[in-house]
Amino acid sequence: MSRKWMRLDNAALIFPAIRKRRWVNVFRLSATLDAPIDPAILQAAVDDLKPRFPSMYVRLKTGLFWYYLEEIPGTPQVREDYAYPLVLMQEKELHTCCLRVVYFRNRLAVEFFHSLTDGNGGLVYLKTLTARYLERKTGARIPAGEGVLDWQDKPAPEELEDSFQKHANKYVLNDKEPAALHVRGTYEPNFLHLLTGRIPADALLEASHRYGATVTVFLAAVLAESLLQYQQTRIGRDRRRPVKITVPVNLRKLYGSRTLRNFILTLNPGVDPRMGTYTLPELCKVIGAQISAEATPQRMSGRIAANVSPQQVLPIRLAPLPVKNLVMRLVYSVRGERCGCLTLSNLGVIRLPAEMGEPVKRMEFIIGPQITYPHNCGVATWNGTTYVNFIRNIRECELERLFFARLVELGVPVHIESNDPR
Amino acid sequence: MYCVKCGVRLNEGVTACPLCRTPVWNPETKVEPTANYSARYPRPPKSKRYPILAFITILLAALCLSVLIFCLTQYGRVAWSGYVMLGVALVYFSMIFPFWFEKRHPLIFVPLAFLLTCGYLLYICLYNHGNWFLPFAFPVVMILGAITTASVALFRYGKRRRLRKTGALLVVIGCSSMLIEMFECITFGTEMFTWSLYPTCVLSLVGLFLILSGVIPPWREYLERKLFF
Ligand SMILES: [Zn+2]
Repeated sequence: MSRKWMRLDNAALIFPAIRKRRWVNVFRLSATLDAPIDPAILQAAVDDLKPRFPSMYVRLKTGLFWYYLEEIPGTPQVREDYAYPLVLMQEKELHTCCLRVVYFRNRLAVEFFHSLTDGNGGLVYLKTLTARYLERKTGARIPAGEGVLDWQDKPAPEELEDSFQKHANKYVLNDKEPAALHVRGTYEPNFLHLLTGRIPADALLEASHRYGATVTVFLAAVLAESLLQYQQTRIGRDRRRPVKITVPVNLRKLYGSRTLRNFILTLNPGVDPRMGTYTLPELCKVIGAQISAEATPQRMSGRIAANVSPQQVLPIRLAPLPVKNLVMRLVYSVRGERCGCLTLSNLGVIRLPAEMGEPVKRMEFIIGPQITYPHNCGVATWNGTTYVNFIRNIRECELERLFFARLVELGVPVHIESNDPR
Repeated sequence: MYCVKCGVRLNEGVTACPLCRTPVWNPETKVEPTANYSARYPRPPKSKRYPILAFITILLAALCLSVLIFCLTQYGRVAWSGYVMLGVALVYFSMIFPFWFEKRHPLIFVPLAFLLTCGYLLYICLYNHGNWFLPFAFPVVMILGAITTASVALFRYGKRRRLRKTGALLVVIGCSSMLIEMFECITFGTEMFTWSLYPTCVLSLVGLFLILSGVIPPWREYLERKLFF
């Protein structure tokens, strides 16, 4: 029997090429329900969804020229959660299955290797999985809609397409960016610290509107302010670097794509503290303007072209995989994460069918830390609560403290939880 | 329950604020905090480095052994296999052995490599009944070792004032070439000041220039302005 396979989409290429112990190329989406998870029912739900999500039930394989994703023979085994989220997916696991389904008490979580999809694509899977689990658990039928797919449908071809190739411009937009402030700390192996800030969504929205900003821009501005303050207290004026926040832009909205694979590009809005000090209203204004100026279909297609065009050059395509990996590592070390201090990924307000409103208590989004830059931040809002999840691989949490304390100062109540056993 | 310092709300029962580590003291609650993550840890990832290192170690050991056996059967004595074995040991301990450690320890292994080089040269010298080790090879290797160790220490454990450090190092290297020539004179009876003056002068001048540009910022800026490319 020949197994189905597919190429990696453009954004997915980088993740298998650079595999380091510190770079967790995995993100997690979780739903917390009103009752403990039954692993047997969860496993059955996971099995049910396999035909509907062929791009998720895959493993990483090595070709002569490229990596590719191959359908797995069975389905991933659900297992109990560990003491921290986003446990490193090692080579062996990637070659077995790039998708993890875990549970702990009332929470079920899905962890995706980033080559499969981005947060928005993953959310569709989590919603459908949760719906199917509840269907099996309670027997009640949950209709498709609000991002929940009908699990008995056939997968649509446009869900599996590499939308990058489709929407690349003829003209390449190449912007060189200076390196951003590098937050440093004491690296802690084999653990990831998670700090969750639970924030009432209306208070956050009200505060954002006070500064004439969207929630994402407001959070990015507060984060930038915290980073500026962080830098001010410990780095001399001459050696200060720009403070920039990496903000993923969901391209599905810009181009009307329905793909379940990666379709995001990141922007790095921010300010250079060497030019002078910035107040929060100024930061909101600057960051908001930078995002809205860049996040247009026209400019984004030029940025897509910059990423896609090397992939179309014949000599590059014919280079053996190890050579490609080496080149990608080099390019990434110059152009990759150095451009932003950390990622702030906001999935926005999550909607679910009315039937799921009662049993689903929490929905969260956690992204893994980067190679050298130790933090990342995933945000999702469900049922009037915004969950801000900071992950870090260092001991110190000075940045998070500045950020959350500043939110409290701005009149936004924050409830902090941590996975720290101490 | 709130943290008195950050003002954030905390889960009931936690003993300290996760953000600022300020202890939380609430005489009324006796609630055990409910962990939102399990206490299970995954097995830490295995490094691929150690199997590779072990393989290289075994390979080199086998090489040494076979050379030794060959020489013993062929000549009935150690003969030239001594060079090979000690050479392999030198390469192994200076280039491969340090990678057995999780952290890099250049301040231990760089001097060690130079000491081992000394030992190797001593062996060659004794084996050939030469008399060049103590007056020449030993001091020269020691000088080079000291300079390399000093530069590793300077640049690894301090990223600031690099211009000044580079300048000082260049001056030291320049002057040491004169020392090396002196040992050469003593050992082999050559003329003094045949070659060492050139590197000494050039390196010292460049070094002093770098030190000056490091010390005087306007001068550095002027140079950057005039020499940018
Ligand atoms: Zn606190």
